[in-house]
Parts: sequence; C-alpha cells; structure tokens
Amino acid sequence: MARTGFTRRRLLAGALGAAALAPLAACGGAGSGAPNRLRVAFAAGGSKETLDPALVSLFVDQARSKALFDTLVAYAADTSLRPRLAESWESDATGSRWRIRLRQASFHDGRQVTADDVLYSLRRVADPALASSSRQYFAKVDFGASKAVSPTELVLVLTAPDFEFPAGLGAPGTEIVPAGTTSFTAPVGSGPFRFVSFTPGGPALFRKWDSYWEGAPELAELEFVPVDNETARVNALLSGQVDYAHDLAAGTAARLASESEVWLLEAGLTTMQGMALRLSQPPFTDPRLVSAVLSGVDREALNKVALAGRGELGNDLFGKGLRGYAADIPQRARDVDRARALVREAGAEGLAFAVETSDVDPCFATAATLISQQLKEIGLTATPNTRAASTYFTETRTKGVAALTRTATLPVATFLNQRFRTGGSNNVTGFASAEFDALMDRAAATGDETARLGLLGQAQRIVHDRGGLLAWGFSTWTIAASKRVSGLVTAPPNTFDWARFDRVRLS
Amino acid sequence: MRGYPVRRLGFAVVQAAVVLVASFGLTALLPGDAASVVLNDQATPEQIAIARHQLGLDQPLPDRFGHWLAGLCSGDLGRSLVTGAPVADELGRRLAATALLAGLTVVLLVPLALLTGLVSGLREGSRADRVLTAVTVVLHAVPEFVLGLVLLALFAVHTGLLPATAAGMRGPDLLSRPEVLVLPVTVLVARQLCDLARQVRIGVAEQTGGEVAEHLRLLGLRERTVVLRHVLPGAVAPAVQQLARAVEGLLTGAVIVESLFAVTGLGTGFVEAVQNRDIPQVQGYVLVFAGVVVLGNLAADLVAHRLTPGRERVAW
Repeated sequence: MARTGFTRRRLLAGALGAAALAPLAACGGAGSGAPNRLRVAFAAGGSKETLDPALVSLFVDQARSKALFDTLVAYAADTSLRPRLAESWESDATGSRWRIRLRQASFHDGRQVTADDVLYSLRRVADPALASSSRQYFAKVDFGASKAVSPTELVLVLTAPDFEFPAGLGAPGTEIVPAGTTSFTAPVGSGPFRFVSFTPGGPALFRKWDSYWEGAPELAELEFVPVDNETARVNALLSGQVDYAHDLAAGTAARLASESEVWLLEAGLTTMQGMALRLSQPPFTDPRLVSAVLSGVDREALNKVALAGRGELGNDLFGKGLRGYAADIPQRARDVDRARALVREAGAEGLAFAVETSDVDPCFATAATLISQQLKEIGLTATPNTRAASTYFTETRTKGVAALTRTATLPVATFLNQRFRTGGSNNVTGFASAEFDALMDRAAATGDETARLGLLGQAQRIVHDRGGLLAWGFSTWTIAASKRVSGLVTAPPNTFDWARFDRVRLS
Repeated sequence: MRGYPVRRLGFAVVQAAVVLVASFGLTALLPGDAASVVLNDQATPEQIAIARHQLGLDQPLPDRFGHWLAGLCSGDLGRSLVTGAPVADELGRRLAATALLAGLTVVLLVPLALLTGLVSGLREGSRADRVLTAVTVVLHAVPEFVLGLVLLALFAVHTGLLPATAAGMRGPDLLSRPEVLVLPVTVLVARQLCDLARQVRIGVAEQTGGEVAEHLRLLGLRERTVVLRHVLPGAVAPAVQQLARAVEGLLTGAVIVESLFAVTGLGTGFVEAVQNRDIPQVQGYVLVFAGVVVLGNLAADLVAHRLTPGRERVAW
C-alpha cells in the first residue's frame, strides 16, 4: 500500500523533470552563423583589449589589426620585406634620409591614405606617452625634420644612419591610422575588413571592405571569437562552431593529425626557446660559468622531451631560417667533461641558483626540469622557480639570474639590437660589449646588403660565445582550420601571411 | 527566539569583512602588480614606475584599502586598474551568464535531489537505492573538467547534437540559445547532486524509521501523509544547509565549467582579474562571491533553525 503512492509520485516528478529538459534538448545542433562568415577562435586578453593597433600585445590583437589596418611594409616568412601601403622605399647614400612612396589606397570612410596619415601614425607610435612596444623602431626618427613631400610621398629623417630602418615599418603595432585619430572604439583603417562591432574580451565582427586596394576579400564577414581554453578552442573547431583555432599545443596537433575534417597549419622555426643568463650579476659575471652552462646542456634531449620532437635544434642564436641568421657558426654540442672542468676551475662546484620559469609557454616547465637535471651532472644545482604567467616577462627583466625565455619571429638585426646592445630595450642578460655595439653601428651604416649581413654575422659570432643566451630549440606554431576553409597559408606569427584572412574562401 | 537570527547575522557580517580584508591582502602579496601587467614586457622600469604612480599603486596598502572601503560604503566599487572602467560594469556584464548557469542548476538540482533522496531513503538498501547511490557517488567523484570533456566528446564533438562552447556569446545571448547551456548545467548538477541527495536520503531514512513516523502510522494516517507531513520536512532541514554549500560548489565549479565551455561569466572574469593583479576588480568579484556564500549560509541556517528549533548550535 505504501509503495503505490510513492510510485505515482516518482512517475509524476520524473515526467516533470523530463518535460523541463525536453525543450532544452530539442533545440540542439551547432549553429554556424551567417553564410560566408568566417569565425576564428583565439585566446583573448579579456577586458583590457583594445583595437588601437599601436598597443597590440597579444596575437589576437595583432590579427584584428591586420584585418582592419595596413602597415607600410610587411614581413615575408623569412622576415625579408614586402611592399604594402608603401609602394617603394629608398634611402640616400648615408642611410639617414628615407623616401617612401605610397600606393593609392583609401580608408574605410573613403578618404585617401596620405603621407600626413603616415607621419601622424608613426609619430603617435614613437610618443613615449603612448608606451607602444613598437616605439623603439622610431627612436632614431627626427620627426621635426621629417615631412610630407606630396600626398603620396614622404621623407623620414633619421638622427643616425640605419639601413635596417625599413624593417621597423613592418613591425606589428606600426599600422597606419587616419591623421588625428585618438579613439579606437569604432576604428577606421585601410585594411581588408571594416569595423562592425567589438567588446573588449568579447567577440569582434568585421565586414569586407569592397574598395580594398588589393581587391575585396572573398569573405563577407570575419568574426573573432575569444576562447581562452585550448581544449575549448579545439572542441569549438571540431564541432563546427568556429572554422579556425589559433595556437594549439604539440600534443593536440598530434591528435588532430588523424582528423579528416581539419587542416593543420604547422609553421616550423617560429619561436626561439632559450634561457637567458644574467651576465651582470654573480655567478654569471664569471664567463667560465656561462660557458659551462652552454656546454653542459643537452639540446637534443630538450628538443625531444620539451618540444615533443616537433621542434628544431638551436645553436644559441636567434633567427634560424631567417634572413641574416649566421648559419655558418658550428652547432654547439654537449661536452660534459669540459663543462665540469670549467665549473671546477671557477671554484663553483655545488653552486646553487634558481632557473626562473612559468607556465606562460607550455614547454617551459619541462625544459626547466630537464635543464636542472642536466646541470646537476656538471656540478651545478639549478632549481626551477615557477613565477606567475601574467607578469613573468616583466618580472624576469630584473629578477633572477637564469630565466627561461622565448622570442617569436622578428628580423635578426632587430633582435640583436633589442637584446644585446648596451642598454638595449630588452637586454635582459646585461650584455655589454663595445665591440658588438660598434659592429651593429657599422652594419646599420652599410648600404650594401651582403656586406651588412656579413657584419651581422660577425656580431652573432660574439653573442654566440659571450651573449649569455642559451637558445636550445625552436618550437613549431600550430593552427588548425576546418576543411571548409581554403586560402590559408602556413606562416609564423608576426609575419604577413599569418592570420591573414582577406584571401580566404569558405565552401 | 529573536536572539539567534541577530547573532547569526552579526557573524555573517564578520565573515564577509574577514574575506574582503584577506582577499585584498593576498592579491597584493602576489608577485607583480597591475602596472607591469598593463604595460607590455618591453616597458622600461621608468615607464612602470610612472604607471604605478598613476594607478596609485605606490601608496601604502592600508591607505589603498581605506580608499576602497570608503568608496564601498558610498556604493562605489571603484575602477578597474587595467581598463579604467567602473568595476560594477564588468561585474554586471558577467553576472548574467553565471547567474543563469547557477540558477538553472539549482532549479534542476533541488527537485532531482529531493526525488533521488526520497526514493533512496524510503527504500533504504533496495536495488533502487543501491543504483542511485552508485550513480550519484560516481558522478560526484568525477571532477568537473573530466565529466565536461566526456560529455563534450559524446554530445558535441562527435555527434554534433549540442554546441561545444558558448564562444562569442554574452549573457543575454545565452537565453536565446539555451541549447548551449545544456552541457555546462548538466556538469554542474551532476557534481552537486550526490551530496544533496545523500543528505535527503539520510534524513528520510531516519525519519521514516523513527518512532514518530511509526506512531503516526499506528494512528492510521496514510503513508503519503506521513511522508509529506512528517518525513520530508524533517529530512529537508539538514538538506537546506547542504544546498547552501552546493551554491559555494557552483561558484568554484563555474570557474572550471566556464573555462571549458568558453562562457564569459564571473568565474573566468575572476581568474582574469587575479592574473591582471587588478585589485579593485578582484575585490568586486570577492564581494559578490562572499556575499552569495555568506547570505546563502545565513538563509540556510535561519531556515533550518525555523524548521528544527534547538539545533542552532550545529549550524556553526
């Protein structure tokens, strides 16, 4: 008797539960949005995001800038320069006056892109108050003396010769904006897509710009969708919610290789993985210990384990595969006996120091553990010290004596100037060499390209021996896209073909 | 009778105050600050120092807390150090999605837990009881991200029955596309069901086998009346307190579930604020979280007190 009432209640409640769930389940199915709209998923920067191209800091910012704006020049995959808004650029014999001719192009409001817009944009980037990371490229520009010669031609005057100066005109963050622009809530650019809507940390919707100077994009619309979690990005791609998922881990790439619905775009040699030793602080004020660390580390093992065998071996130099890279310097190999002897000679057996690391890069944790094990064999006690990801690179500029580091693709000369020049903007090792600085000055003042690259080679020889940078490998950059998408090109981040959507088609 | 609610309320205020002071101090203790996060890693130490001054980060910590507290008293949560926008704006934007997730979860969780607990408790040791116990315990033992991944693989990635993420959607969009909520809510319900159902089950078993129920049955009351009038109210009291704890679980679960399903809610926002060392924004989130937890427990204790007077000491 007791059970009858109970059973009825269970039935009733069960039916109610099912009724509540039914409408939710009924409207299933993944929506793919408007026709001919490409949805691309990137890890995003949250509420601090901006569309101001001069303040790009994340890859998603850079990709959005590329859609909305144009730079004067752009980097090919090896960082050699390609014309964009600048049709041509040439210097006087000294390399200190640069004449730039612009092509016919118009902003999204119909105005022509003029030399005044270019001057305004570059001056803005160079302004210390804006604190743009691209400011360093224009430190030598004398804006008082630089001027527009005609609407489509300008002259930039430098305070010192620099034949590598045009490289800065292709750097991320140097996009051209209309003169007088101060607000970027609804930006106007000259890029292949026009602004429609954007919320910081939320999606961004752009529409094709029919009068784009290089021809209107194939896509009607481009939507940037923020998905921070890598697993969620892959799931969104596999379930058809997005058509492009940026930045996947090596393990994910291996798993996706067997998926028939997905293209994998794997750009090799994109990011230098290394460890920077602080030469200005003990113990690495002793060059013997620097040499000992460089000889004591097993680069092959690091590549095999930390990069899952998908990377390439490094030779303590930046820029493998790029224009100007000193490929003729012999590969440094592990030499435990030599390293141990150097440690003994320096009287540093058992010396303990911390290896700064963070989960800012997926390979850092493994690399730090491996390096510490390898250094134990040469008599050094290196202990990994994990720091917060969001402030890692800022903190390790001043803290610690050995820090894992990474650098994405940029011109070799730019890297050398930032990292190794006395007082350079990103000289974290504290390397100071008058000989190196003089070589870089000579290279900057050398018009002949072969001779200039030769000088850069000599400069790289110096830092290979004494720069305090252990560059053990180069990691691969992985992007996955659905097979509906065609026209994507495999290219490293920071170069022009990376995250370029104006030649993409959807089927 | 009035003494208990007043004392309990006073305790809740103290709890909230301790949490707010602790979160302010702990966020300040983290390495790095908002100035170094706002600027990129190319910034010079001088630029960082200027930014630090502009953001007021060079003032002593107690002063900064004092300012923040003074603002709070006048209803001003302050401005984000990173975006400069009012903290309340960002909270409001994100609250909708999380409230929707948590609200739907509670709406489904309560009847489901009552039903499961009742079935199990009335027929303790039966096959139904054993099956339900096994299922809920297993669901509870599986962490949110694992269950989420399994469900995603089954229902989104391979079969395409349900969307895999809420990528690109804001709170209001979720209401117009409720199908994106099915998987996240399922994960949250599955995780919380066990504790609540177990609590109901114990209470029901205790009450139904107790002397009072036996007496009522001997008086000739129908079983249905015994269960509805006596067994259920007695079993619900401890379960109400468990429900308050489940709400805490929902907030922590939201951090994982929101990340996995790309929901722009409080959980992911909180993580972002901590990563940005954005203390006013962190405090805003803590205020909401602490408020929900403290008020939830307060309400639960008061309800439990009302249902079973004399058990107040157990509450805290």
